Amino acid sequence: MDYAAAIFTNAAIYIIATMGLAIFTGYTGLFSLGHAAFMAVGAYAAAICTHFLKLPLAVGLVVGIILAVLSSLIIGYPTLRARLRSDYFAIATLGFGEAVKVLLENFQLTQGSRGLPGIQKLSTPLLTGLFMILSVWLARNFLRSNYGRKIIAIGQDHVAAEMMGINLFRVQLRSLFFSAVLAGVAGGLFAHYLGFIQPSLFTGSQSSMLVIAVVTGGMGSITGPILAALLFATIPEALRLANMWRMVTYGAVLVAIMVLRPQGILGYREITFASLARFGRRLFGLPPSPGGESRKAVS
Amino acid sequence: MLQTIITGLSIGSVYALMAVGYSLVFSVLNFSNFAHGSIITLGAYIAWAVMVQYLHLPFLPALLIAMAGSGVLAFLNERIAYSTLRRRRAPSLYLMISAMGVSICLQNLLYATVGAKLYALPAVFVEDSWNVGELTISRMDLFAFAFSAVTIALLNLVLRRTRVGTAIRAASHDMDMVAVLGVNLDVLVAILFLIAGALGGMAGVFMGVKYMVYPSMGWITNKAYIGAVIGGLGSLPGAIIGGLFLGLLEALVSVTEIGGQSLSTYRDVFSFGILVALLIVRPTGLFGRRVEEKL
Amino acid sequence: MKRTLSILALAMVSLALVLGCSGGAGKSATIKIGHEVALTGPNATWGQAESNALKMAIEKINAGGGVLGKKLEVVAYDNRADKLEAVNVAKRLVEQDKVVAIIGPAQSGVTNAIREVNNAAKVPVIATTATNPKVTVADDGSVVPYTFRVCFIDPFQGKVAAQFALKDLGAKTAAVLYDVGDEYSQFLGKYFIEAFEKGGGKITANEAFRSGELDFRAQLGKIRGGKPDLLFIPTMQKEAALAAKQARGLGIKSTFMGGDGWASPDLIDLAGAAIEGSYLVNIAALEDPAIQDFIKEYRDKYKVDPVLPNPLMAYDAALWVADALKRAGSTDGAKLKAALEDTKDLQVLTGKLTLDPATHNPLNKPATIQQVLAKEKRFIYVKTFVTTD
Repeated sequence: MDYAAAIFTNAAIYIIATMGLAIFTGYTGLFSLGHAAFMAVGAYAAAICTHFLKLPLAVGLVVGIILAVLSSLIIGYPTLRARLRSDYFAIATLGFGEAVKVLLENFQLTQGSRGLPGIQKLSTPLLTGLFMILSVWLARNFLRSNYGRKIIAIGQDHVAAEMMGINLFRVQLRSLFFSAVLAGVAGGLFAHYLGFIQPSLFTGSQSSMLVIAVVTGGMGSITGPILAALLFATIPEALRLANMWRMVTYGAVLVAIMVLRPQGILGYREITFASLARFGRRLFGLPPSPGGESRKAVS
Repeated sequence: MLQTIITGLSIGSVYALMAVGYSLVFSVLNFSNFAHGSIITLGAYIAWAVMVQYLHLPFLPALLIAMAGSGVLAFLNERIAYSTLRRRRAPSLYLMISAMGVSICLQNLLYATVGAKLYALPAVFVEDSWNVGELTISRMDLFAFAFSAVTIALLNLVLRRTRVGTAIRAASHDMDMVAVLGVNLDVLVAILFLIAGALGGMAGVFMGVKYMVYPSMGWITNKAYIGAVIGGLGSLPGAIIGGLFLGLLEALVSVTEIGGQSLSTYRDVFSFGILVALLIVRPTGLFGRRVEEKL
Repeated sequence: MKRTLSILALAMVSLALVLGCSGGAGKSATIKIGHEVALTGPNATWGQAESNALKMAIEKINAGGGVLGKKLEVVAYDNRADKLEAVNVAKRLVEQDKVVAIIGPAQSGVTNAIREVNNAAKVPVIATTATNPKVTVADDGSVVPYTFRVCFIDPFQGKVAAQFALKDLGAKTAAVLYDVGDEYSQFLGKYFIEAFEKGGGKITANEAFRSGELDFRAQLGKIRGGKPDLLFIPTMQKEAALAAKQARGLGIKSTFMGGDGWASPDLIDLAGAAIEGSYLVNIAALEDPAIQDFIKEYRDKYKVDPVLPNPLMAYDAALWVADALKRAGSTDGAKLKAALEDTKDLQVLTGKLTLDPATHNPLNKPATIQQVLAKEKRFIYVKTFVTTD
């Protein structure tokens, strides 16, 4: 596929994974530094299904989702049950991510460090674009649902939420599952975009990149992380920045965001057409809404 | 078997030295300073710069310069990445994330500028092995062990006998109270990071001599961090014991075989598995204190 | 719905940005040859040498009139020996620079990574020092249509190492320490063990470590117990240096041996006295009489010794591509592929190149054994091995 289409596909995959993390971290406030592990599980499952078992991609993705959710259960259940404080939880997920990578390097089924080459390139821009839209729709609906409201409540003030009767553990676990689903899908699509996968592709660095996108985009928002993910996936390519300088910038951006603007770009807000319209109006000095009074008019 | 134990202790002593840096910062500021790994790496590079690349200083001056340099870097790190958050009383998670950002930035900065070429620091002892019967012990290991022990003893002295040390110990119990009592927190934290940075720099130099100098040396510090958790974050003796214990465990796992299959490559699963298990079951480790997350 | 649409709008804008930035390549008066090379990173010593040698080769070819009436031009991008970066580089070379062939990469894993890109685009890739057999022959035995190589393969390398150890060094027992995270290391170790045992030797230990680890003393302690005559360390120079140092530190007296991953001056810098007297299998050696002209030219031009064997491989690859283009009579991918496959007895720096069309590997490539003189900080040539069985 040509260069621009490849960038788009890569960006779409990255956006799906980021959204998954955003649902979890952005709302529960629990940072997962091992999300690349879920992507890895999804990627390997889907690849093994299509490459060795010759099953269609859809089946591979479903198997990937199931396995990703199961792995999230393995790490999520004990850590969430134990009510770990947020930085310990982050470290536990970091450890989990590393452990998964080591296991992948050692198993015969996953062909160890050699990984799986020769995967069919089934991830077209159209397919990944569709999945991306589907994920946004799912995320939005998840947030509007009962579960979603509970998650937002927890994100705002988890003590108050608990006092209102929300079962912290169950809600957190469910949102972790949801994020694992999206990460697993992203992983499966990634495997069929790149054409080969190896454990070295799913490092702690990758997990950190997802976290950086969520934090930069803003916690408590969906469009924020999507915007951040889009920027991270496209701008460096356009500038032909070497990978190392990209990471230097991301690290610096993360520090800058935490120190200067912890709510990220959007933080708790979303980009909607209404807000875009308002923004555009203000840019041109027009009243913020049709028929309304301009701010400047108020003395 | 005994040789394996000695190897384990040797690896563990490196972990222990690094773990002390983590625990020191944690004891006062209550967060996990993930940027410590970068400070350690930079310490090694400073030593390389003055020993090999630009000057040709002998070992001890280079070590001291590296320690001073890392101390300063750690201080700057605190100023840029943590002080605002600390004043804003941000949750410890945010400090940790900021630390992560610093670590990613610095490590890749090293890759991008100095490049990923591998460097070795000149050996300190020409005839390094010392044979005791069937066992072999490295002289460098003994030297590093002794030097670290002396430094940590000095640190202990500072903590117990000087006013600064007492202030630090008080701050580790209750930072606000210390501020109310008139201690300048900014100065205190600055001194804290200078000390932690110097310790990290020392660890980096020893690692550079024992192994080599390259940008992702910081990865090893993840293991040191596990050692600190095992011993109990916030406790200095705990950090040392935890580090040594982890080194021993890793060495023993490396030589174990189950059903003919060596476990050496699964070693990290063990290490990280222990980390996760400990965090769940006993996050205070062996000697740590329980500190609730502030609401 | 609104949110979805606004996101799509953002995506479109980004796409437009990116499309705008990626320009197309117009018709040019040169024939472009791509170079996938590691110019920075741990493999940079070889990569820089390749780049230098390639420049020399292309200058010579152009001075002789070029190919098909046009001059050759090298388009090189740094892939840092990273697989993802290499895929990006390959895409750029194939789609934007429209190269007719790609020389490099130098690592097996990286060559595997770009396989889809160059095969789909029908652009031949000639790997310089990728020695893993699966680079040109897939799991089912079929040849990868557009991937070639100009060096020997690891089963051969392992065999050479084993036979040299058995016959010339008189080793009866051997141990292996390999990197489980590097496919080159894992397989080279395996091939050595097969050949060593077939030749009547006994393997006392086969230990592994994970990529990125620095301390192998636990594994080496185990190896020490078996008192092997030879310790085979089929890794890259960094791990080999550490392993050698630590092994000697533990009092292991075995002779050390490695593969072409050792062949960088780094090895001596990092290992010091520990590596003195060790042996390695390489694709070529500085003292080889056949390549002295090249060595002199390289020294005169760049004022340093070439870090073998990569520059020789790159030079040979360039000669090969130029010759194949002439025989194909066009830059069309399929015709070039056929011409490459049909190469017989082409005189290159390292001998005569005949390609086996069934495996895309050169036939009868010799291997050199070198010894490390750490005190003098150089490698010396011991002997040349030719394929036996």
